[in-house]
Amino acid sequence: MSKAADAMAARAQAQALVEGLQGVLLDARRLAGAHPGAHGRRLAGPGEAFWQYRDHRPEDGARAVDWRRSARAERLFVREREWEAAQTAWLWLDPSAGMQQSETEERPSKRRRALTLLLAMALLAQRSGERIGALGLTPPLRGPHAAEQLGLALQQSPENLLAPPGRASLLVLASDFYAPIEHWERQLRRLSANTRGGVLLMLADPAEEDFPYEGRVLFREPGTRNENLVGRAEDVRAQFQQRLAAHRAALHALATRCGFALVRNRTDHPAAAALGAVIAGLEQAH
Amino acid sequence: MSIGALFFASPLALLAFLALPAILWLIRATPPAPVQQTFAPLRFLLGLKSENSQRLRAPWWLLLLRAVLASLLILGFANPSWRPKAVAASNKGPVLIVLDDGWTAAPEWAGSRAAALAAVEEGERKQSGPFFLLPTAPQRAQTGPLDAFSAAEIKARINGWRPSPWRADRAAAAKRASNLRGRFADVIWVSDGLDSAGAAALGEALTQKGPLRVHAPGFTARAITDLRSTAEGLEIDVRRAVSGNPVAAVAAETLQGRALGAAEIRFAPSATAATAKIELPPAIAARAARVRLVGEASAGAVRLAPNGAGRPVVGLVNGGDTAQPFLSDLFYVERAIQPFASVQRGDVESLLNQGVQALILVDDSALPQAEQTRLLAWLEKGGLAIRFAGPRLANSDQALAPSPLRRGARALGGALTWEQPQEIAPFAPESPFADLTVSADVKVRRQVLADPAGLAQAQIWARLKDGTPIVTAAARGRGLLVLFHVTAGPVWSDLALSGLFVDMLRETLSFAGSASSATEPGAELGPWTPALLFDGFGALSPPPRRVQVPEDIFNAQKPGPALPPGLYERTGSPQRAVSVASEAELLAPLARPAGAVWIGKARQGTVSLAGLLLALAGLLGAGDLLLALALAGRLTPRRGARLAAAAALALVCWVQGVGPALAQIDVSPPPGWNINVPLAPPEIASIGDVRLAFIRTGDGRLDRATRAGLEALSATLTERTSVAPGPVVMLDPARDDLSLFPLLFWTAPAQPTPLSPQAGANLERYMQLGGLLFIDTRGLAAGSGGEASPAAILLQGVNVPPLEIANPREHVLGKTFYLLRAFTGRRGSASLWAESASAAAARDGVSSLIIGDGDWANTWADEELTPIGGVDRRELAMRFGVNLVMMALTGNYKSDQVHLKELLARLGTDPGKTR
Repeated sequence: MSKAADAMAARAQAQALVEGLQGVLLDARRLAGAHPGAHGRRLAGPGEAFWQYRDHRPEDGARAVDWRRSARAERLFVREREWEAAQTAWLWLDPSAGMQQSETEERPSKRRRALTLLLAMALLAQRSGERIGALGLTPPLRGPHAAEQLGLALQQSPENLLAPPGRASLLVLASDFYAPIEHWERQLRRLSANTRGGVLLMLADPAEEDFPYEGRVLFREPGTRNENLVGRAEDVRAQFQQRLAAHRAALHALATRCGFALVRNRTDHPAAAALGAVIAGLEQAH
Repeated sequence: MSIGALFFASPLALLAFLALPAILWLIRATPPAPVQQTFAPLRFLLGLKSENSQRLRAPWWLLLLRAVLASLLILGFANPSWRPKAVAASNKGPVLIVLDDGWTAAPEWAGSRAAALAAVEEGERKQSGPFFLLPTAPQRAQTGPLDAFSAAEIKARINGWRPSPWRADRAAAAKRASNLRGRFADVIWVSDGLDSAGAAALGEALTQKGPLRVHAPGFTARAITDLRSTAEGLEIDVRRAVSGNPVAAVAAETLQGRALGAAEIRFAPSATAATAKIELPPAIAARAARVRLVGEASAGAVRLAPNGAGRPVVGLVNGGDTAQPFLSDLFYVERAIQPFASVQRGDVESLLNQGVQALILVDDSALPQAEQTRLLAWLEKGGLAIRFAGPRLANSDQALAPSPLRRGARALGGALTWEQPQEIAPFAPESPFADLTVSADVKVRRQVLADPAGLAQAQIWARLKDGTPIVTAAARGRGLLVLFHVTAGPVWSDLALSGLFVDMLRETLSFAGSASSATEPGAELGPWTPALLFDGFGALSPPPRRVQVPEDIFNAQKPGPALPPGLYERTGSPQRAVSVASEAELLAPLARPAGAVWIGKARQGTVSLAGLLLALAGLLGAGDLLLALALAGRLTPRRGARLAAAAALALVCWVQGVGPALAQIDVSPPPGWNINVPLAPPEIASIGDVRLAFIRTGDGRLDRATRAGLEALSATLTERTSVAPGPVVMLDPARDDLSLFPLLFWTAPAQPTPLSPQAGANLERYMQLGGLLFIDTRGLAAGSGGEASPAAILLQGVNVPPLEIANPREHVLGKTFYLLRAFTGRRGSASLWAESASAAAARDGVSSLIIGDGDWANTWADEELTPIGGVDRRELAMRFGVNLVMMALTGNYKSDQVHLKELLARLGTDPGKTR
């Protein structure tokens, strides 16, 4: 295929992506709007937003005096702004086929929910002037169109996690983390050496947790040819849930060890709580 | 193999029942398919087994359903059929066959004959005998005892038997049956399926003679009970029993069988009477000699229209001068009465000999003394004479007038009078014209005046506004003499130019019938003799021997052996028809006699059950599929509703498709009736259209090419001419009714084969009736009609008229629409042979057969044919096609164009000569 045809095909793909993204972006904007100001340095420093007035100190110099405030008192005041140091956060979305599963009208797929949350993060970051990038795909982005760019890029996230370029960066990894614990251990250990930690955003489908199946069911793994025929699904429910809980416990321990916060979100639960938890996790991380 | 009434055509399939247990075990061992579920955290499930995953098996009701399904399939493939055994009398002995052989049996005669023969054969197998045959409508009234026949003799008799053109006299047959001695082992009544007087008595008499079985045809006979002539054309009443075919077509024909028009009838489901209207211009309607039900070969399905369907025969007495026919008074009279009367011209003597019912004399009509006496004598006996005034009447000849006239004419208006032209006054209530309204624009400028002194002798039918009589009438013996005091032309008044004139003449001529029926039943007229007689199938032929029917029997108009229906004549009277079906013809289904068994065609036949069983199996299979889906959890409520809708739709389709098939009745025509075959509904539907037709050659590619060519020609005709042909029709001359198509196109196949005798006869008849048969030999060999040519092979056995080469400049085919210099075909100029004008003299020189070698159909269809040397062959071929269709439709209309040059030369204005 010629290069031009390649470009055409890619563009068509991108178009489809953007179209799929519009709903997600909308969701993300709504989410970001519903989540005001939990993010900030809580320190005075260079920034836009007012932080506090404090007494003038001689080393500040005359230029720092806030004359309007000082005129109303008998002291000199200095206006301080909140410190808004730009950080870099890297986002990653698990591309495995399992993330696509069980999208219905009332609840999104895990992938879509993850994308929504990640883009909401991106919008929030954009608002506070921080830089944010798709891990292994884009440089750190900022500016009004960063969210759209990220949305496109995230959907092509690589299977394996690459170490981010800067050392002092935060990571947000979205996945269902169903892969074996050894796999995650390998990945996270490599990353934690290079980063300041971050958040593992663990998405789950209600069917995967509640296991509502009954009778004779042939289970198939998406993306592979693995399958398992279960004669009476209700009989294996307890065992399955036990195994899943064990896996998650192991994952939680691993995350804590590597300096990551583990945030869980079920696709039938609201996304806003998860967004808050992710941001809180990030705040903790630095 | 048969079990009781159940018969298996492929009994070996039943062996599959042996395998049924194995099949059921397999089904039982195979549990229903599991629900499939994609599941991302499959890893955590791996290795987990529920203990009882093997326990699941098909539930018992699913097993039962599948067992039934398998059984149905096996039974279906064994091809079973249900054949109820006719109740055959077990004992042997004499057999009585009662055969309804009136015209009502004629449409299904082959079926009746087969049923009778089957009864004989059955008796033969049982070694019964002797056989007796009791016809219910014999050719001659018979009362004697029946003859006993052997099986071979009676078969020969039945094979040679033909239906009579009258209804069965079952009362007489009942009497003959009850006179028979002894009991019969078998009594078979091959009926026409219709009730009639005496049917119950006959049934009772027959049941007493032995075990009675009654055969009835699938569709019973229909009849044309009345034929009326209206201003729009013909109105035809058709009657049927509810068991008669509800779809019919009626056609009006000349006596020679040339179709003039046709119409379709559809009876409402329970209706027994329907009226068809064939729209025809009056002049054409006057030529209709009979109407028939197309596709029904019975005498009752034909009705003669003597004298143009109840139209009075009016004689116009010729005048002296015919040099300027459009100015002659007779022209106006003829045009006025044509819609409702049959017109004959001649002198009084010859007209009276032809038995006209009314005479019209205009002023010019010559009336020598001898004829005048004859006329008066005829009037005395009940004739109707209508006279018109004029200069001659005004000045000399006044003997034949209702009342004495004043000499000379009264002029109204003009340079020398003070009076204005007068209008006609509204008609008096006692006048025959009372129902008519006077139009104000009719002005009378001149009239002859009745002498007031003698006016009491006459009735005044119409007056002018000033009170002077304008139409007077007087009885002359039994007859009537009517005088219009103006001319029949527009010279004296505007009357002849108005519609009022037509209405007045119609009212006046309504006296014609009564006057003529008042004719003395005189011995001098003599008995009626048949000119043409019906046979049971409705064909007309000259009487085999000279028959004379006395007046009283004739007037009873009850057809039977004494008065065979047909067309009758006698000197001094117009021809009259004795119709087969009376206006109150009773057509009702035959009620089953008590104790008798039907062996009707529809009831007798075996019913194949294979389709039914397989269809049921299919339904069960669909149900099973749904159940399997439900078990597998795939049947969500929404999908279920959709599936249910689809199933309902499929069920409806099945019922519509199979339902009629289950109740199907064989209506195929009897063999040998290639002309009167029932029309398929699509043909009936488009009976009014012009449709191009071609003859099926059996070569699929060739037939498709011909169809494509004719479709292209149809499109061109629609585009360029006022002919808009319907869809192209493919015909089989051996089976189809060709008479509906003006032009038959026949492309010679590469290996031509001769026609079957039936097809040949049908084609011959088609050509005789005025159809145009066009054979395209495609240049396969020289189309000269020589021995080896394809056309000669195709037409083997057909009576081919002599042919001659058609020259485009001389033959009418070169003139009918386009003026053609050559008949262009695929390879340029083609040669054409047409029936020679002398041979076609009987049809006004219109050829009925044209043979050419231009490969036209292919040329018309071939849109990519490239012009050679600037000649667009397709266009020229198309023009030839247009001309051909035009010739088929217009006959010799353009043939004077052929002689145009000659005519111009004779007129001295030949454009070729410069003077």
